[in-house]
Amino acid sequence: MFGIQDAIRAVTEKFPTSLYVSTCGFITRDLYNTVDRPENFYLVGSMGMAAPVGLGVALARPGRHVVVLDGDGSFAMNPGALPMIAEHNPDLVHVVLDNGVHESTGGQRPVRIADPAGMALAAGYSAAYTAASAEELAAVDPESGVTSLLHITCAPRGAHAGKRVEWTPQQLVARFRTAAAA
Amino acid sequence: MTDAQTLTAERSAAAPGRRSAAEILVQAFVDRGFTHFTGVPCSLLKGVFRVLESGEGPAEGVSYLPAPREDSALGVASGLSAAGAKPVVLMQNSGLGYSLNVLTSLNLIYDLHVPLIVSWRGHDGNDAVEHDIIGRELLNLLDVFGLRHTVFDATDPYASVERCLAASEDGLSTPVLIVKEGI
Repeated sequence: MFGIQDAIRAVTEKFPTSLYVSTCGFITRDLYNTVDRPENFYLVGSMGMAAPVGLGVALARPGRHVVVLDGDGSFAMNPGALPMIAEHNPDLVHVVLDNGVHESTGGQRPVRIADPAGMALAAGYSAAYTAASAEELAAVDPESGVTSLLHITCAPRGAHAGKRVEWTPQQLVARFRTAAAA
Repeated sequence: MTDAQTLTAERSAAAPGRRSAAEILVQAFVDRGFTHFTGVPCSLLKGVFRVLESGEGPAEGVSYLPAPREDSALGVASGLSAAGAKPVVLMQNSGLGYSLNVLTSLNLIYDLHVPLIVSWRGHDGNDAVEHDIIGRELLNLLDVFGLRHTVFDATDPYASVERCLAASEDGLSTPVLIVKEGI
């Protein structure tokens, strides 16, 4: 099993030109500290909203590929959004980084969803993939133009995330809006 | 809403050659460049949802996206807005509770101010019991979070929408259009 920070880096290398929406807490901080781009829309709150926000981005910019970075805890918080996303089937990869803990708040045990990929398919996603190593992740080639879930089983950081996002929320919106329109 | 009110609303919506308050409301938002409507229905707003679902008249070319819950509707609208589209969110006042975290930790701090059309069940203290408390406290709740509200006037729908949006024209506050009677 590989670490969650390695998984985030591997995803950003796999989809280097996409628009990103990252869930609050350590995942947003990891994305920011891995590769800070105007194309990244970092959520700093609103746990459970990364996927709905990603849907909105995709609907506003149908020509762009969107990556949502969710955790297992934030994914479990809002499975109700899955059928709404599936209905529109945008060009979007919904990544669930499953380290099995609420690591941002101290490593508490989250509600476990037995099969996130199966749940996404039941909700109507076009495809779902699982990966538990760098090699398996490298082998995943999501169908383009449709919505898929990518469930990555990974290890907790075991360390603190990097620094908080230093852009103001208004700066994030301004640069993301420009980048999304490009 | 009483049966008589429902009938009146439905008749006015169906009257040929004359636009209903709901149609004019949608038209007013469309004329201001709004492109997407999302939310969760309320019986007081059913005329508006009927227009949006029809995709005809003022709703032609507009996207209507049914949402499972009001907070997710706000999330989708926030993504639309962050990427440059102009969304509107519709909900019953009961949904405002679910929405508060998204409003306070996303919309209000990122200045992603999406207009909300919120029905006001329980405004007169004489509605079903589940609306008593949120109905009594709606305006207080909006005031606590600095959400600028305008009460919809069905006799002048277009001006109501204009007034509501004008109150937040600086882009620094979230406009709320409150609908007390069924349209």
